[in-house]
Amino acid sequence: MNALGGILNAGTGGRVQFLRRNGPVIMVYAFILLLVFIGATQSERFLSERNLANVARQSAFLGIVALGQMLVILTAGIDLSVGSLVKVSILVSAIVMNGESANVLPAILATLALGVLVGMIHGFLINELRIAPFIVTLASLVILKGIGLTISSSPVGKASREVMMFYVQKVGPLPVIALMFFMLVILTMLLLRYTVFGKHLVAVGGNIEVAHLSGVPVKRTRYAVYVLCSLTAAVTGLLWLSRMGVGDPAIGDGIELQTITAVIIGGTSLFGGRASVLGTLGGVLLLGISANLLVMLGVSQFIQGLIQGIIIVAAVALYKQEGD
Amino acid sequence: MSQAILEMRGICKSFAGVQALKDVSFRCQAGLVYGLVGENGAGKSTLMKILAGAYKADAGEIIYKGMPRHSASTGEIIASGISIIYQELALVPQMSVAENIFLGREPRNALGILDLGWLRARAEELLSRLGVTLDTRSPVSELTIAQQQLVEIAKALSQDADLIVMDEPSAILAGGELDQLFAIIAALKAQGVTIVYISHRLEEVFRIADEVTVLKDGEVVDSRPIQQLDRATLVRLMVGRSLEEIFPQTDHAQGELRLSAEGIATDSILDGVSLRLHAGEILGIAGMVGSGRTELARALFGADPLTQGEVRLVGESLQQLPQWKTPSQAIRAGLVLVPEDRKSQGLFTALSVRVNITIPILSRLSRLGIIRRAAEEGIVTGARQRLSIVMNSPDQETQYLSGGNQQKVVLAKWLETEPSVIILDEPTRGVDVGAKFEIYKLMRQLNDRGIAIIMISSELPEIIGMSDRILVMNDGRVAGEISRAEADEERIIELATLGAEAQSA
Repeated sequence: MNALGGILNAGTGGRVQFLRRNGPVIMVYAFILLLVFIGATQSERFLSERNLANVARQSAFLGIVALGQMLVILTAGIDLSVGSLVKVSILVSAIVMNGESANVLPAILATLALGVLVGMIHGFLINELRIAPFIVTLASLVILKGIGLTISSSPVGKASREVMMFYVQKVGPLPVIALMFFMLVILTMLLLRYTVFGKHLVAVGGNIEVAHLSGVPVKRTRYAVYVLCSLTAAVTGLLWLSRMGVGDPAIGDGIELQTITAVIIGGTSLFGGRASVLGTLGGVLLLGISANLLVMLGVSQFIQGLIQGIIIVAAVALYKQEGD
Repeated sequence: MSQAILEMRGICKSFAGVQALKDVSFRCQAGLVYGLVGENGAGKSTLMKILAGAYKADAGEIIYKGMPRHSASTGEIIASGISIIYQELALVPQMSVAENIFLGREPRNALGILDLGWLRARAEELLSRLGVTLDTRSPVSELTIAQQQLVEIAKALSQDADLIVMDEPSAILAGGELDQLFAIIAALKAQGVTIVYISHRLEEVFRIADEVTVLKDGEVVDSRPIQQLDRATLVRLMVGRSLEEIFPQTDHAQGELRLSAEGIATDSILDGVSLRLHAGEILGIAGMVGSGRTELARALFGADPLTQGEVRLVGESLQQLPQWKTPSQAIRAGLVLVPEDRKSQGLFTALSVRVNITIPILSRLSRLGIIRRAAEEGIVTGARQRLSIVMNSPDQETQYLSGGNQQKVVLAKWLETEPSVIILDEPTRGVDVGAKFEIYKLMRQLNDRGIAIIMISSELPEIIGMSDRILVMNDGRVAGEISRAEADEERIIELATLGAEAQSA
């Protein structure tokens, strides 16, 4: 295998490596183009500014958490708790804010503090008690969901007027929320490319034993990545409050699976050590556009699930072929 | 000449335009042992993979048991009596010895229920053919690597193999276990089984092979009966360099104390080891696999916590540096470890050469957490030139490098941390002769710069050829120390197998 790899590499290594790294990304964007083409030809509303702004906003909601999820998956971990944390975050922020402008800052700080706390607990259990990330965050998913539903099973609290306005604000044609997501995408790219922390994430995911023996602060890196991921969930909870105006306990369910899906179809390895920000962005857009398009075309919800499932399998299967 | 069991004629194979095998012919007679030697990338594994049906040859023919073989599946090839035992053993750790031997071919009774009695009886019979006893019910994960290899050989026999290819079987074995493997090979030979033995280690080839074939750059350089070869000739055929140059010698005076360990013990086998290491010397650590050599390295490095004793580095002006508890503290203090298992402990195989080399020194290469690309580039380019690492680009993943170049990447990574003490655990395992020589030369250069080296090795010629002093480990303790002048293989093996008793004897 090694000899083969070496030889392949000597000859067309550049191209093989390029495809292996970028195949998924190219594939995902090809899919997106296909969907846009279908949308443009099959529905006159699809390309309207209003609809595109909607898609951008919805993608941002998923995308911000997907970036956190991607960083965790890059370290060969996983965070199943993000959906439940979004739920608790919208409830906590709505209750603390309670419709008052004066409470906006305390509400934001409380929600972010909640994110840091949850992330630290994940880091502690994974680092110090050596429990698998899957188990830790699965427990967290259940517990946070329980806490959310204990807080309230019906909408509670209220967003202040400014917070509600934030949802519809635009810079030119672009919703501020989408712009925010876009900036986070750029920041994440820079993080992975140019910072020590980024390389440490890759190293921990690439091989935790080698990372440890190479002097990488493995524990600190894992604490940080779980805190970052939980923070993206807390921020998304705040954005949901801005959209819903109240603390709706129905929000958040299923976000963990959607984010994992977006990350994986973007070509990030579930086994860690390799991540693609552009791929994750593509995965998020693909999910967002397909959901939007299926609604536009009046496809029933059950069929929507089916089609999205097929997209996931098709994308992953296609780039697996490329890679081999 | 008697009937050949296997004849491979004019085999050619290229990958993506690069010719891996050029007109290779290889002939085996039944019941003999064939040594297949050559540097990494010489084409040994490719040739054997073609034999196993894993690759298809571009040209050439294979005649097996007198019949030309056309395209056949790996399953059909195994059924025809060819078995290959790869270095990475293909066993299911959780399953028992007997279950592993018959995996996929489990005997079932009329009701479709597994016949465990038959399974065990057959497995025991096969193992007794090899002259070994193992509990066939114990899970493979509880066996030593050497025992696992036996299970693989038994599995090959269970498939009625007439031709067994062993790909670097000794790479995972220690001295004593090797003798057992050779005894088994002799037993198989006596039973008429043909063995193809792939190895880097020439001593082994001389001990067991009847005929040796040397591959270099995808071509057969020579193929001769072993009687017509000597070590020097074989080395020259393989690398085009003579034997005397393998272990470079330099004269250097022993420097001041660099590292001292006093009575260190860990939760594992390690039990009260003391040693002293001086600037510019190589301290060889010999002993069987499982004697505590690797545990000693990990304990010194802070990878496993000490339960007793202490390790200290001694700095420039002979002051003792504070003790460390983790690898990252050890690295900062100036002590590094090149671990035994490159793929699982030394290298990020799926990551680039660049990341691999710079990971321990990123903080030095960055400002406010942001990596300075120019500084990083300088380090990588410098390392590439100094160690002559062969790669396509710094972004190439290290899994695509040869064993020797991988090891150079690991060494480069540690040299960049500017250590005063380097622990090398099996530094030349899986490395071809040419790269071995470069690594030895590098070790001497490091000595000249005052760097102290601890070298753990299973290869006695390497230990004897390179070490200034040798500590022999046995059962978690130091069984004895041997000076360069009195070092010979018998003395080391005696200490390694008998331990401290040997000293009084």
